Amino acid sequence: MSDKPFFVGYLPAPGPLRGFLIAVAVLLIGAMAGAGYLMGAAQDDPGPGAFRFDYGRQTVTGVVDMVPYPILHVTQGNDRIAVGDSFMMTAGGKSGVDGRAMPLNGQLAQVSGIVLERGDLYMMQLRGGRNGLQATDGEVPDIPIEPQGRWQLTGEICDGKCLAGAMRPGRGLAHKACANLCLLGDVPPIFVSTQPVMGEEFLLVTGPDGTRLPRDAYDWVAQFVTAAGNITRRGDILVWEIEPDTIRLAGEDAE
Amino acid sequence: MSVKYIPVQWNPNKWVYDAIMLAGVAAFLWLFLYRTPETLGYDPAINPQIHNARAFGACAFVMLTVILCIGPLARLDRRFLPLLYNRRHFGVMTAFVALTHAGYILNWYFAFSSSDKFVGLLYANSSFGQVAGFPFEVFGIFALLCLLILAATSHDFWLKFLTPPVWKRLHYLIYAAYFSVAAHVSLGILQDQQNHLFTALFLMGAGAVVVLHLAAWRAESGAKAAAHDGNWVHVADASAFREGFAKITRLPNGDRVAVFLMEGQLSAIANACAHQNGPLGEGKIIDCLVTCPWHGFQYDVRTGRSPAPFTEKVPTYNLRLVGNTVEVNADANPPGTYVEPVALPQTGSEVPA
Repeated sequence: MSDKPFFVGYLPAPGPLRGFLIAVAVLLIGAMAGAGYLMGAAQDDPGPGAFRFDYGRQTVTGVVDMVPYPILHVTQGNDRIAVGDSFMMTAGGKSGVDGRAMPLNGQLAQVSGIVLERGDLYMMQLRGGRNGLQATDGEVPDIPIEPQGRWQLTGEICDGKCLAGAMRPGRGLAHKACANLCLLGDVPPIFVSTQPVMGEEFLLVTGPDGTRLPRDAYDWVAQFVTAAGNITRRGDILVWEIEPDTIRLAGEDAE
Repeated sequence: MSVKYIPVQWNPNKWVYDAIMLAGVAAFLWLFLYRTPETLGYDPAINPQIHNARAFGACAFVMLTVILCIGPLARLDRRFLPLLYNRRHFGVMTAFVALTHAGYILNWYFAFSSSDKFVGLLYANSSFGQVAGFPFEVFGIFALLCLLILAATSHDFWLKFLTPPVWKRLHYLIYAAYFSVAAHVSLGILQDQQNHLFTALFLMGAGAVVVLHLAAWRAESGAKAAAHDGNWVHVADASAFREGFAKITRLPNGDRVAVFLMEGQLSAIANACAHQNGPLGEGKIIDCLVTCPWHGFQYDVRTGRSPAPFTEKVPTYNLRLVGNTVEVNADANPPGTYVEPVALPQTGSEVPA
């Protein structure tokens, strides 16, 4: 047998072994420290999205438009939100405001809440109840609705709220279950296109003919996909009516 | 050894062991949690909850990797055996770190919904029919359950209650847990990485586990089963024995026998310690008792019994000398059976200490 020193757990370590064990201990702690630093420093940039609490609460008036997700076309803005802007609306947590917005579809409403902003994309998280969304009087202007034809796009289906900054990072496969929960809670879905579409990187994505994003499409959420569908510009938001049958992983040939 | 169960039988080595492991974990978490945000310099920063979840998840993976490397390292080089001694404590730490990771995930990604977060965890992503987008959370849940089972049954009470063979098999769940963690990471965070440093570190860790296990397996499989003559199995030449140490022989049925030389006489006992199946034959005789290299359990080499008041017993085997060759009978005696030692012939070349 070997002449190596023999360690018994409840006895002091033999002298020659002690030096070896001290070296192993130092190496182990050093390796774990190094791994912690390197793994932490290898995280990717979550992107520029964030809640803009620094803007303070924003209150504007506009026309509610269910497409079928609720967007607001601003008719009376403020110093941050201009007249003619259109933005999506959501509630606190993983919930939408469909129940509150539906009765006001096509009507003027005053909305109030906190903005989430990611580049050109912004969304408002409304305050609760009538404080966040209430009908208001006034003339309802026509909202320009311009069909843009059928497009094939490549990119990622996300939930608009996490993408806009509620979570950082708020996209990708590690975030898929969270995104699905948001979509199930009626948070508007967004398509992040790899190539700008008429200058826009983010499009509100719905099912065909103004329906909600079909459940079949949830399997494709957070993946890099290619699909086709009609694009309509409503106010200054592009709405892409995705055709579920055309969705496939990007790079795969169509059947 | 145990005559009564107390929560943890502390001794200075265990304190030192736990302190070193805790220092490693603390260093990992402190650097990940508090130093890397400055290095990254992202504005706005990664959500603290996600950052914390990643830190604890990555730490659990590294800890699990270390745990699984200790076993084969100790097989390949006995100087690593002290790392094995208190590994269970490190395993329990790992379960807590993994649980913290799960807590951050559950209370962030699956919170704020109208659904219960545990329900949401199970139904939010049901894309089981695809690889990309597969609900990798199920692998994490499975691994966490394994780690919690292992932590809960890590105490010697469960070892005694379940018996060492059952306990040992149960604790092979660590491999299922590691495989599951690897799948969890591979189908989750690795799918989103732009910076591939984490991927490289992950592959290095998992690769080390695989390579060390293969090396240990290869080193052990090199010792072929001994040839047998009737029921007698060749062990070694008499001159090959050293006072206080053993020769290990694998029997035709796969069991291993440790044949010790003590005070010029040979005795054989099963190689598997009654505590955790530690390799008795890799131990040595201290104070006339075979001492297990894993946790120091001791046995009288002639009876296979632990000294009173302890009650552990291992099987003994009969030996014979054929010329200058030592042979062992492949039939084990019941644990604790006394067997008369076989005296070695005194030769000029053999000088027992």
